Amino acid sequence: MTGYDTATPIHDTYAAAQREFGVDPSFWIRYFTPSPAADLFNDDALAESRGAWDSGGPYVGCISAPRQSRLSGSAAEGQADAQAFAAAMLTAYHAVRPLVLPSNSRLYCWLDQEYSTSLSTSYWNAWANYIADYNFAGLGIYPLYPCLYCNPYSPFPNCSTIAKARGVNVPSAIWSSEPEPCEGAANPPRWHPEECATVPTRLWQYGEQGACSYSSNVDLDLSGPGFVTANYCFHVQSRP
Amino acid sequence: MRSRRNENAVKSFSPGGDGFGLSRREVLTGSIGAGALLALPDLGMGGRLGGRSSKSGRAALQYAFLYGTPDPGPASSGSLVATVYPVSRAGSRAISRAVSPRTSVPVAIKLAAAPVSSPDQAVTALATVDMVHDGARITLTLLDATSAAVAQQGSVTVTGVPQDANVLVTPVFAPGSTIVSMVLAITMPAGKRLVRKADPRTGRLASRSATTWTSHHALAYFDQRDGAITGPFHLSGEPSLALSTAAANSSDLLIWTTREPQPDDPAEIRAQASLSRLTVFPLGSGTARLSVLAPAPWPGGEPHVMLRSGDMARLVRGRDVQVCSARTGEVTELGIPAFTHGRAKPSAITMQARPDGTVFMTKPGAGMAVIADPADSFRTTAHIQFPPPAAPLGAPWSKAVLSPAGDTCYVLGPAATGGLCAYDAGSGKLVGSYSEGRQYAGLYQLPSGTLLAVRPENPRLAFFSSGLSPLGTADTNLYVSAVF
Repeated sequence: MTGYDTATPIHDTYAAAQREFGVDPSFWIRYFTPSPAADLFNDDALAESRGAWDSGGPYVGCISAPRQSRLSGSAAEGQADAQAFAAAMLTAYHAVRPLVLPSNSRLYCWLDQEYSTSLSTSYWNAWANYIADYNFAGLGIYPLYPCLYCNPYSPFPNCSTIAKARGVNVPSAIWSSEPEPCEGAANPPRWHPEECATVPTRLWQYGEQGACSYSSNVDLDLSGPGFVTANYCFHVQSRP
Repeated sequence: MRSRRNENAVKSFSPGGDGFGLSRREVLTGSIGAGALLALPDLGMGGRLGGRSSKSGRAALQYAFLYGTPDPGPASSGSLVATVYPVSRAGSRAISRAVSPRTSVPVAIKLAAAPVSSPDQAVTALATVDMVHDGARITLTLLDATSAAVAQQGSVTVTGVPQDANVLVTPVFAPGSTIVSMVLAITMPAGKRLVRKADPRTGRLASRSATTWTSHHALAYFDQRDGAITGPFHLSGEPSLALSTAAANSSDLLIWTTREPQPDDPAEIRAQASLSRLTVFPLGSGTARLSVLAPAPWPGGEPHVMLRSGDMARLVRGRDVQVCSARTGEVTELGIPAFTHGRAKPSAITMQARPDGTVFMTKPGAGMAVIADPADSFRTTAHIQFPPPAAPLGAPWSKAVLSPAGDTCYVLGPAATGGLCAYDAGSGKLVGSYSEGRQYAGLYQLPSGTLLAVRPENPRLAFFSSGLSPLGTADTNLYVSAVF
């Protein structure tokens, strides 16, 4: 169950990735507002969704990578970033008719915490709480679940911060960025990501473009045992 | 409304004084924030002072402000921290001896947002928020970089804000004006309801109370001439996303905001949901003189500068510059050729206005830094290419700096070797490097010309000369997210 994450539009990316790795992805994970340094899925959700469909991996997971110093900040900053993230996902959902919520009504929403970033409890709790409480599209099913992308063994506060979270603020999953054995997509490595003590790692970025010298603009991700990442992503049901 | 000095929340510090005797109540504090701020004497200026302290006095000293979360202890709020430096290191003893050891001083904890420096770096503004019986009290504090002391302070209470609201405060300096604008994003609970939601671990449905929130913006203005605060002026456009981008020229405040999309928006509104709005206010006023739709992307942490022309430029998607006319609101988008090549992972990006009118931009994940000329459609006038550092996206975002003369670009060393590198900005050639195998996460140039590199473990602060000679190191129990 290998998928791709990328900061570039899917429709500009998938053909090169397919040539390089020879397989269709099981899913994509794309950046949404606020991610000030990336191309955003919500800026052209229609073309991106077509790209996902054409790639053979019609599932789109959602990540937000705010300016990283904000993650050390206040509850007001965490809430503001989560609010924009939720609004961006809603905008994409409204813009593309066949882009639907996962059938299990659990859309995992990832916050990008990089290696050298420290995550404050004020920021995380406000961010996670807003995501968990968001009445997406007025459906009344509250399908958003906060999750954390991080490097668990980084010396900066990440696992220790979420260990203090309670209730809906506890992340549903960790997406680990380490280690990086740099295998291909067709032959992913045996499951051995870094882990936090209190929250299970469900997704592992085992190959980053820069560190692994991939030529296409994708990082490679593997779902954990018994976990199907596509089931926690937007589903492009038909070609938009 | 007149500003008033908050005697319970402020402490002025003497340069070089130690901060260890300060109690938690004596530092500037608000009730909502999380970051901590530490003042650190600029090593280069301290060094000069050490040789002629009796003549030059305090005025020559300059502080840098470290922003981050404390270690150890809960990262939820700051605790007092103080560090002494430099620590002599083998190979740098001669230089270290010449430096007058000075102590960093704690300045603030529980900030509502990261500080903001004035364009000339002389003043740093920070905001704190306290919930009081009749609303939210916003305190703006201006710190003097030459003393780390509070230069001015003013407070304003936004009434009718409930205790569980969040208020995000963005101070905005206006070049050529004494007015410091404050953009307030006020997010209040709009309702609670009992919801049933599946537990992600067990799958069982559980009932709980969920809160919905609504945000709107307000403006307040602090005048440095008399310390008076005007406002708050509550803006229309609710519900609006709390995130905004704001900049000011000598006469106007420009704000990019985004309406929050609603589930029941009619189709014609949904079609415009991806559009932001640019609104221009005369400084000191709550009445807009211009409000126009603005192109994507939504505002949210992108670097931006005020140009000499009085127009605003923001670096979006890590590759394009949008120049916004302060007069008409018209936006022109220009590509930065060195930044166009995409990567799987975003990179930190920075953008700084230079005294000669040019703009310095960096994209360390792509190993690129450029100087561009806004007067010539952001034509690239210098282009520096370097191997990407080990942590090109993580905090701090400053990983490449330009010397004041504009002739040398300093960058964090390659992922394989760490350290620092120097490039000739004109030719793009590597002209120096230093590495002892350490990976740094951020790089700053202090007003003295001293380079400050930040790393994960203590000693977290490493100082280098402009020739990349190590000057010394210092411990701090802050995880440093940014330096001001």
